[in-house]
Amino acid sequence: MKLFEYQAKEAFREKGIPTPEGVLIREMAELDAALDKVGFPCVLKSQVLQGGRGKAGLIKVVQDAASAHSTAQTLFDSKHNVRMLLVEQAVDIDREIYLSITVDPVQATAMFIGCAEGGMDIEQLAVTAPEKIITVHVDLREGLGTYHINNLLYGMGLSGEIAKQVGAIARNLYKTFRAYDAELVEINPLFVTKSGTVLAGDGKLNIDDNSVSRQPAYSLTRDYFDSDVEFAAAQEGIPYLQFSGDIALMCAGAGLTTTVFDIIHDFKGTVATYLEFGGANYTKAVRTMELCLQTPSKVILVVTFGTIARADVMAHGLIEAIKIHKPSVPIVTCIRGTNEEEAFRALREAGLEPMTNTEEAVQRAVDIAAGRIK
Amino acid sequence: MSIFIDKNSRVLVQGITGKEGAFWAKHMKDMGTQVVFGCTPGKEGQEVEGIPVYHSVRRGVAEHAADTAMLFVPARFAKDAIFEALDAGIRKICSVADGIPLHETIQIRKAAQSCGAMFVGGNTSGIISVGEAMMGTIPYWIDRVYKKGHVGVMTRSGSLTNEVTAEVVRGGFGVSTLIGVGGDPVPGTRFAEFLPMYEADPETHAVVIIGELGGTMEEEVAEAMQAKIFTKPLVAFMGGRTAPEGKRMGHAGAIVTGGRGTVQGKTAALEKAGGKVAKRPSEVGRLLNEFLKP
Repeated sequence: MKLFEYQAKEAFREKGIPTPEGVLIREMAELDAALDKVGFPCVLKSQVLQGGRGKAGLIKVVQDAASAHSTAQTLFDSKHNVRMLLVEQAVDIDREIYLSITVDPVQATAMFIGCAEGGMDIEQLAVTAPEKIITVHVDLREGLGTYHINNLLYGMGLSGEIAKQVGAIARNLYKTFRAYDAELVEINPLFVTKSGTVLAGDGKLNIDDNSVSRQPAYSLTRDYFDSDVEFAAAQEGIPYLQFSGDIALMCAGAGLTTTVFDIIHDFKGTVATYLEFGGANYTKAVRTMELCLQTPSKVILVVTFGTIARADVMAHGLIEAIKIHKPSVPIVTCIRGTNEEEAFRALREAGLEPMTNTEEAVQRAVDIAAGRIK
Repeated sequence: MSIFIDKNSRVLVQGITGKEGAFWAKHMKDMGTQVVFGCTPGKEGQEVEGIPVYHSVRRGVAEHAADTAMLFVPARFAKDAIFEALDAGIRKICSVADGIPLHETIQIRKAAQSCGAMFVGGNTSGIISVGEAMMGTIPYWIDRVYKKGHVGVMTRSGSLTNEVTAEVVRGGFGVSTLIGVGGDPVPGTRFAEFLPMYEADPETHAVVIIGELGGTMEEEVAEAMQAKIFTKPLVAFMGGRTAPEGKRMGHAGAIVTGGRGTVQGKTAALEKAGGKVAKRPSEVGRLLNEFLKP
């Protein structure tokens, strides 16, 4: 679960990482109060989850109330689903540093990444001057030691008062990483101001999806989604993605669904929606179809090959879903696995042809979408 | 012969009194696996499908020699149960739990490594040495998938396991040992770490890996082939060739960011190392034939 910048910064401050002063607003009526508190110049920062906000024009510096109003209105009206703005004090920046902690799955450790040159071009620097990117591995069972911090700071070439402040921030970033079960905490840029203060200019905090249930401070809200249907699917725990093509996918299992997605493209088809009802969701065919039908499509393609997600249960669920939701588009089924004979029988009885080969099923769906067959 | 488990493995089942544990312990036993005891705290003295139950792993191993642990324990208790098995001297452990917190998966992998053990999972369907033994939730009775033979299979995806392995069998082959490494971002044991075992196994003539976008496990396989750690024929199938960048499709591990972890990059690395990459599951049998039949 990715948190918004304002939430990441709340978490940072709670753990002792300084940030510029800021106020979150959700509507224009809240702007003047925010400006009174923060003063000018200030930065209007769109709270969206996509990266590259600066390059997309979603972060703007404003010098006075009039330009703050027109700019804020433009941001709220943009096509990027901007529902919140962080109105933040602009600081005099001397230099920018990069600091993050992520997971190294091979070493099975947390991994600090630090670079004395932060900012928007860090990915480029990783390619052209990889020696400037410093990594330090931390065994979670052992915890963070002074030597980790020293290796990080001296590796980055920092010294004096700045090193002291960055060291404290690194320690607190590790506390944040652990306390929030993070898969990533990142400060880019970490500002060094002209007066020599270090503070977090931006903040990323991604909570591990398997740990969200023990992080009650952050529950899923509509803010995190572009549409109501995506929010509804997430609340059900049904993986859902929306595209603009023809074929609605209702498949079981991540790997198989992704593969069907590939084969559709190989056969020159296009995808309308991507829904998974495998694993713990294998009894949720009725709800899955309800979500599926909220996006227009020309055909629904159901592909499964399950073990615990039994074929007969999924077939009966699908038949029930058809009875309830009465989809107007044709359905292609390729439901296999445990108790598949019963699944085939039930599908035939319901007037659906049970296919058994994934590629043939995809070809059929693509042909139906293209109007070649009915 | 086979790898990781065989008919001589002595397997204990943690969480055996749960619905899933009892159901699959029976199937493991029915297939021929030696299930020597089960454990669930507070349930000592009971039996599940004729298997004696103990309060703890230590109490069980005091009565019955065991070398392998299979866990049907919910994700939030998995770390504790795995550490319990390690503490009792078990060195091969597998958990099917889906949803083990990331920071715990890191500690589990590190703990297993530091005592020379192997942990497989979580979020896996388990391990089967066809005709010998099974641990996990693998439907060994589907004979168009689980036919005995000489192709080792490793997979990151439960749902693709049946789909792709059926193509191995359709190509005229069978399976020696199939290992589900699991779909978590930090799997307990990685593809490349099993390769020396497949290399040493005379019953395995080739290996099929079922990968997907994201992570670096397939690239590590290519490195092991380049380094001649693994020299047998290798065929890979990977899902997610056309996945849009930045969208999380499927498993937590399956995300492409900053151009890294793409199926295109993995394909190039594996082909450079001498492997063959199937674009679709149906090509797996043909590619195996190119390697194994004159």
